[in-house]
Amino acid sequence: MESESNKRENPGADETEEHRALGWGGEIGGGLLLVLSIIFMVGGLDLGLGVPTRLGTGAFPFLTGAVLAVLALVICIEERRGDGLAEMPDWIAFLAITAALASFAVTADRLGLVPAAFLTVVVASLPDRSLPLIGKAILGGIVAAASWALFIGVLNLPFKAFAGF
Amino acid sequence: MDILASFGQGLLVVLEPQNLMYCFIGVFLGTFIGVLPGIGSMAAIAMILPLTFYLDPTPALVMIAAVFYGAEYGGSTASILMNVPGTPAASITAIEGYQLAKKGRAGVALFSTATASFGGAMIGMVVIAVLSPSLAQLALSFGPADYFAVILLGLIAASAVSNGGALKGIAMVVTGLMLGTIGIDLTTGDLRFTMGIPELRDGVHIVVVAMGLFGVSELIASIRANTGGKATQTIDYNEFYPSKEEWKSLFGPILRGGTIGSFFGALPGTGQTIAAAIAYAVEKRVSPQRKKFGTGVVPGVAVPEAANNSATQTAFIPTLTLGVPGSPPMAIVIGALMIYGITPGPRLLVEEPDMFWGLVASFLVGNIMLLILNVPLIGMWVRLLKIPYKIMYPTIIVLICMGVYSLNNNVFDVWLTLVIGAVGYVMRLFRFEPAPLLLGFVLGPLMEEQLRRTMLLSRGDPMVFLERPISATLIAITVGILVVALYSTAQNRRRARATAKNPQQEGTQA
Repeated sequence: MESESNKRENPGADETEEHRALGWGGEIGGGLLLVLSIIFMVGGLDLGLGVPTRLGTGAFPFLTGAVLAVLALVICIEERRGDGLAEMPDWIAFLAITAALASFAVTADRLGLVPAAFLTVVVASLPDRSLPLIGKAILGGIVAAASWALFIGVLNLPFKAFAGF
Repeated sequence: MDILASFGQGLLVVLEPQNLMYCFIGVFLGTFIGVLPGIGSMAAIAMILPLTFYLDPTPALVMIAAVFYGAEYGGSTASILMNVPGTPAASITAIEGYQLAKKGRAGVALFSTATASFGGAMIGMVVIAVLSPSLAQLALSFGPADYFAVILLGLIAASAVSNGGALKGIAMVVTGLMLGTIGIDLTTGDLRFTMGIPELRDGVHIVVVAMGLFGVSELIASIRANTGGKATQTIDYNEFYPSKEEWKSLFGPILRGGTIGSFFGALPGTGQTIAAAIAYAVEKRVSPQRKKFGTGVVPGVAVPEAANNSATQTAFIPTLTLGVPGSPPMAIVIGALMIYGITPGPRLLVEEPDMFWGLVASFLVGNIMLLILNVPLIGMWVRLLKIPYKIMYPTIIVLICMGVYSLNNNVFDVWLTLVIGAVGYVMRLFRFEPAPLLLGFVLGPLMEEQLRRTMLLSRGDPMVFLERPISATLIAITVGILVVALYSTAQNRRRARATAKNPQQEGTQA
């Protein structure tokens, strides 16, 4: 049942050979979790475990870190080769969306909300070839104006529409 | 009688113009985002959350809940018209719904869906009103050890059924617990894992985690899937209402689906999707029209919708009476309550009766609004599906940025959302599900507090967890779930390996 619903939700689940070959999820995921667990265990020890009656600041991070370390090791061994990827990665969309967030983060304080919204829209839609640059700019303008109206006009949030000009 | 009186009181609360307005905004936005394929109710709730911080707790809670169940109504629209489920639970509705749409009966399918959703939600609401007070009464006798055990049970149950297998699900829960420790330790005042970054003193904001894990990563994953498909169906209002026989055939499925859904909704770990799938499977056996299932029949659309909407409502039972969310959206509800300084748990019913009963009554009001939005106004949502996704997604990204930025007027939160979103997307690819992580993140601080209290009261003796009858029972159930889940994960893996060696068998087994 589980695998059935799995397939329904991820229609691309077993599309190609290529992505079965990419099935290193167990090692990579397990390895990263192991690193994370060690950081929290060491950090927990550093903060102090306290005594059983009075658990210290570091006790809970240490305990959860220890549990995660065990789980991560089992994942590394048990899930190696894994089931392949859940879906084909879309790195272009990944880059566009993260770059869009980054451009908002860089410009929001320096230029203000309206230019930041404009830039975010343009960057996010860059990979879409069906929308010409002028279309992207118009969409950016509409979204920027609408967010100005909504967030500053209607909701009265303490945002600066323009800054640094 | 007591329940009726309390419900009436709640109705008065929700009928205040302000609450009514936020309820409407909630169901409207919920339907809106639910209709958009690929973006589920989690992202919808995360987006609305920053706005609720400016409201009183009651309207805020009413609005968050309305977004949640509104998204379930909207989710079925895309699944019927495009065979692309707007929410995971709607994938079951798509089985019969899309067949009906292909026969030119999309209108009937949408109408039945709305009616069944309403019926299911009402069954769920009655179950909440009847069960919650007694469950809360029971929970009042819980000590810290029992609470710790309840939280543990909730976390394990919710993660053990995760798509990537029990091991990964539980690993994600634990990771969430660890992330929850970042920031000031409330008991000692020490800073933990802030890496010298002042913005991390108050910990990572729940909106940042939810937006990153769900909003950003779902958006990345949905772009390619949505650039091709477009709704081609148009609704013919002459063909909108079911025939007399179809009307009659709706009632049984609604009752059965609603009952099954309300049971699975209240259990931790089994959400709307499982409720809908089981209800559909049961109906396929008992329905008078069972032979026609799969070809597009009205009961086949009604039953999963009734089930997932009643499950959506009853998910509030453990959340509000025990303070333990059974599903990720409920974790956000808990997170929101804590931001308002309200401790979710059995005392909520006693201390905030207006809030509790107002919320329950808002289910009635909100579902009536949804019925109006989804029957006479369905054409509006169908037209929404025709807006190209390339216009939608850059707009959603801006909403995410604004929402996160508004938390503290600080771009640090936007950067953090970027990082969490990027990690979340890679996690998805490797079948590490984000939902258990969020549950752990929300419940971590509560769990730590209960653990400390327990150890203090027992003078450092951990055996207390097994000595108290309530916590011992809960821990026994947890261990049982753990064993079953790990065993079935291992079995699935073995089967997968066997088919990988013998690819020809795959077709026969599936």
